[in-house]
Amino acid sequence: MRSKRYIVSALVVTLALVLLSACKPAPTPTPVPPTPTPSPYPMTITDMAGREVTIEAEPQAIVSLSPANTEILYALGLGNKVVGVTEFCNYPPEAQERPKVGGFADVNTEKVVELEPDLILASNIHIAEVVPALEKLGLTVVVIDPPDIPAVLEGIKFVGKITGKEEEAEALTAEMQKRIDAVAEAVKGREKPRVFWEISSDLWTAGPGSFINDLIVLAGGGNIASEAEAPWVQLSNEAIIAADPEVIFLADHPFGETAETVATRPGWDKISAVVNNRIVELTETEIDVVSRPGPRVVDALELIAKALHPDAFK
Amino acid sequence: MNARTDLQAYKAHSMSRRLVALAIALLLLLALIALGATWGSVHIPPSAVVRLCSARLMGGGVPADWPRSWETILFQIRIPRVVLGALVGMTLAVAGAVYQALFRNPLADPYLIGVSSGASFGATVAIYFIWRFAWGGLNAISLAAFAGALLATAAIYSLARVGGRTPVTTLILAGVALGALLSAGTTFLMFTARDAFHTIHVLGWLMGSLALANWGEVQAILPYLIVGFSIIGWHAHTLNVLQLDEDQAQALGIAVERVKGILIIAASLATAAAVSVSGVIGFVGLIVPHIVRLIWGPDYRFLLPMSAVVGGVALILADGLARTLLSPRELPLGVVTALVGAPFFLYLLRQQKREVF
Repeated sequence: MRSKRYIVSALVVTLALVLLSACKPAPTPTPVPPTPTPSPYPMTITDMAGREVTIEAEPQAIVSLSPANTEILYALGLGNKVVGVTEFCNYPPEAQERPKVGGFADVNTEKVVELEPDLILASNIHIAEVVPALEKLGLTVVVIDPPDIPAVLEGIKFVGKITGKEEEAEALTAEMQKRIDAVAEAVKGREKPRVFWEISSDLWTAGPGSFINDLIVLAGGGNIASEAEAPWVQLSNEAIIAADPEVIFLADHPFGETAETVATRPGWDKISAVVNNRIVELTETEIDVVSRPGPRVVDALELIAKALHPDAFK
Repeated sequence: MNARTDLQAYKAHSMSRRLVALAIALLLLLALIALGATWGSVHIPPSAVVRLCSARLMGGGVPADWPRSWETILFQIRIPRVVLGALVGMTLAVAGAVYQALFRNPLADPYLIGVSSGASFGATVAIYFIWRFAWGGLNAISLAAFAGALLATAAIYSLARVGGRTPVTTLILAGVALGALLSAGTTFLMFTARDAFHTIHVLGWLMGSLALANWGEVQAILPYLIVGFSIIGWHAHTLNVLQLDEDQAQALGIAVERVKGILIIAASLATAAAVSVSGVIGFVGLIVPHIVRLIWGPDYRFLLPMSAVVGGVALILADGLARTLLSPRELPLGVVTALVGAPFFLYLLRQQKREVF
């Protein structure tokens, strides 16, 4: 009977060895040789995550792993070179017709490989695992994820530089800067209304270091969560009532929150924004615009500034 | 023929029937590993898979009439993923079977004494503090998860020691308590993460995934699995006795405390390695040993290898569903194993009408 033990052990070990022998790693595919024409390529750059990346030649097939990066590519006239996008890339509308490579955090690596991109634009969410995985497969990945508005302009110029669209990027960012300056001029010297930006009905909001906080400040508002300890925080009902916001933005409007539902919350009927009916119900499109560090960030800025200072934009 | 030879003949007959079943299951597993290479959001026809593989094995001679990307997809993404899935499934099922015997508890699974809570906490810390190092084919998240799992198990084991013995009830209770503490830590870190994407990342890890599997991970975990499986396989007969009664095992001359310690180390080491690369995949480790027990009975000399094979099969199938149901997006593996595993197990439970444990 004891010998059965050996049989079992031997069986298990054999099975393990069979599997081991199947594990010979495949060699990585050789990279495309650089073009001989005089050009800025191969170009070694440091991306927005501080990684050094070499771009061998002017990218001809680009995969975007974030909606904001997709918008940048299209705004620079690179739409015809975009070969893959995410499920959430809905702007410009023609981007939706491109092959999908996954959601936002979940990237389908085999789909990416199939599209044979020579450039992949990733975002912060991909740094830990997706970017190393794609690089192991011999792909060129650049992280573009601007943390604030000035960085968005930098990001656009950066994409322009690595894709041979430097002039287009200069023109686009100059136009954006003009609109940002115009908003700054319009709201200058005006009183800053207190703002509560509601992300969800359990009172999550955007604190300092978040993109939305930046937009509120540039649009001439005062975020009631500006003292919070993190970019995304949950406030208590009491704290919001005590802060008495003058304008409330409902980024959860697509999930059913409205000026009416907000007014029925205990204690909220006394909040200035509710009393004066200054509650902005954001549409899904508007939420996309304010949450994407891309070219439409100026639309977001104007949208918020107009809601905060209607008189300044008459 | 007298009664004794009758019994022996019966035993031999039943053993050979089981070996046939095991061989069939093993073939099924190998077939699924091959079949798994044809599943995915990129359509590669099975005939192309065969030609790609023969080209790779013979090193030329087969005309390469396929896109170059297919080679990368097949050899660097899919096959390592299927192989890793098989290994993780085997490990969870074997470790679950071991714990069910050691603790004489049908609810025991590989996560009972700290592996999942420790691994989750470790992975969360690595994500929270944005650790970037890598070592031996594993990234910081996997390494932190592996370390967390082992530390938590070691802590629980030493906390549960009472006067030179480690009673299973104390062990389970210490596991529950430390598990709750670590889960609170994980939730706290998730809640206070500076960036929302860290929270999403942790959540994704907690639900298990093989989406980014690669050969480096397979090679990194394999030594732990081989050592763990060998030790466990060696003690199959001991587990048969232990699953009934510790005192009886003692009376039969088994050094119960020592064997228990060795088996817990072996099972935890293998599970920690598997979990570090796959995240927490529930249900496989709980249910697969029960399925095998329901169909073929509780003899661990058979139950262990059969659980390994069925576990591998189950995880490959679950991962196949995870990556095709919503293609090109992927479902968390833990969701699929529970969604498909629970109804199947309930069905089996109703069919058999036999004492499960």
